[in-house]
Amino acid sequence: MTNRSLVLFTVALLCAPVALRAQDARLDARLDARTRDAVVALIDSARAEGIPSEPLVQKALEGASKHADGPRILTAVRLLAGELGDARAALGPSSTDAEVIAGASALHAGIAPAALSRMRASRTHGSLTVALAVLSDLIARGVPGDTATTVISALTGAGAPDAELLRFQQGVERDIAQGATPAAALGVRAKSAFPSAAPLRTP
Amino acid sequence: MHQHDDLDAMKRGDDVLERVVEELRRPLRVNTALFDARVMDEVLRTPSGLRERIASLMQPRTFRVSPLIALAAGLLFAVAVVGSVLYVLPSSPRAARTATRTTPGTAPGSPIVQFGFAAPHASSVALVGDFNNWDPKATPLRAASTGGVWSVEVPIQPGRHLYAFVVNGTVWRPDPAAPKATGEDFGEPNSALIVADQGMR
Repeated sequence: MTNRSLVLFTVALLCAPVALRAQDARLDARLDARTRDAVVALIDSARAEGIPSEPLVQKALEGASKHADGPRILTAVRLLAGELGDARAALGPSSTDAEVIAGASALHAGIAPAALSRMRASRTHGSLTVALAVLSDLIARGVPGDTATTVISALTGAGAPDAELLRFQQGVERDIAQGATPAAALGVRAKSAFPSAAPLRTP
Repeated sequence: MHQHDDLDAMKRGDDVLERVVEELRRPLRVNTALFDARVMDEVLRTPSGLRERIASLMQPRTFRVSPLIALAAGLLFAVAVVGSVLYVLPSSPRAARTATRTTPGTAPGSPIVQFGFAAPHASSVALVGDFNNWDPKATPLRAASTGGVWSVEVPIQPGRHLYAFVVNGTVWRPDPAAPKATGEDFGEPNSALIVADQGMR
């Protein structure tokens, strides 16, 4: 071991407990001991698998703030850990934490992991975070998942920048707010984005 | 006869005195360059307290210190240097820390997101989300002077975030102007927010 490696190793050793203490302190203050221990164990195993841990901490804290009981908090954290793991697997090892978190929200909204992989394949360069977040929000607005996935995948595949994706989402939301059904709103906006494409099949 | 001799002597003395006075009255001719040089030379030769002290400080000296004292002095110096650096460095990040006291989702340089909520009869409104540990005390909104509109600006890292408002410390409300997040893990609905690198939606 060189001197430099030794120094880095020592610094890492010194910093690791500080980071863990910081995270534990948040959970300590808001969870009962039993729930905290179970959540920390879940977080540790998630971290060992390369899954971002901060969303898990936040999920536990959200449950605590909403006065949920321990088992309910554990269930929610475990579910999210699974979704984050699935999103990581679907998006590939090179995906960023932000992409994985957005992917997990898309999975939570009902998108299939295979759809995430297709979106990844459609945009090999650049982040998928905004595209996945837009997809989740369109579904939250009532747009059918399959249709939303098809349109957003087409937009990302065509190289639409994040700003355009956000404009597209705003347009759909505006149409819905003015009385259009979510599926129809998406269809109209998609037709405007891809004039030569075949009409979308909406359920 | 003696009297005559005395008168002659007095007359010679007056002549000498007159010549001396005349010599003294003659203007003195001085070579100023040579004069200045001589004066400065004399000044430099004259000992001065300050000059001596400076000169003595420039002289090399030998100190005899025990190794223990030397080590202690070295440690003290190192502590002083490190302490000074730690004291000076945070001066600019301090503002950043103020902005990031809601640690997880915020950072210096993050887009500033403005949140608004209409609650004319509320006594307090707070923002909670995955960017401030869902802590109802972390980000209170300020009420406008009229109209019952509450608002706050928060730096938030790009990405998708969940949030809600807590009214009067107990009532959770989603943002009516934003899409609701799918899935209610804990019974209270959240709103979803997308923060792009360039700004927010």
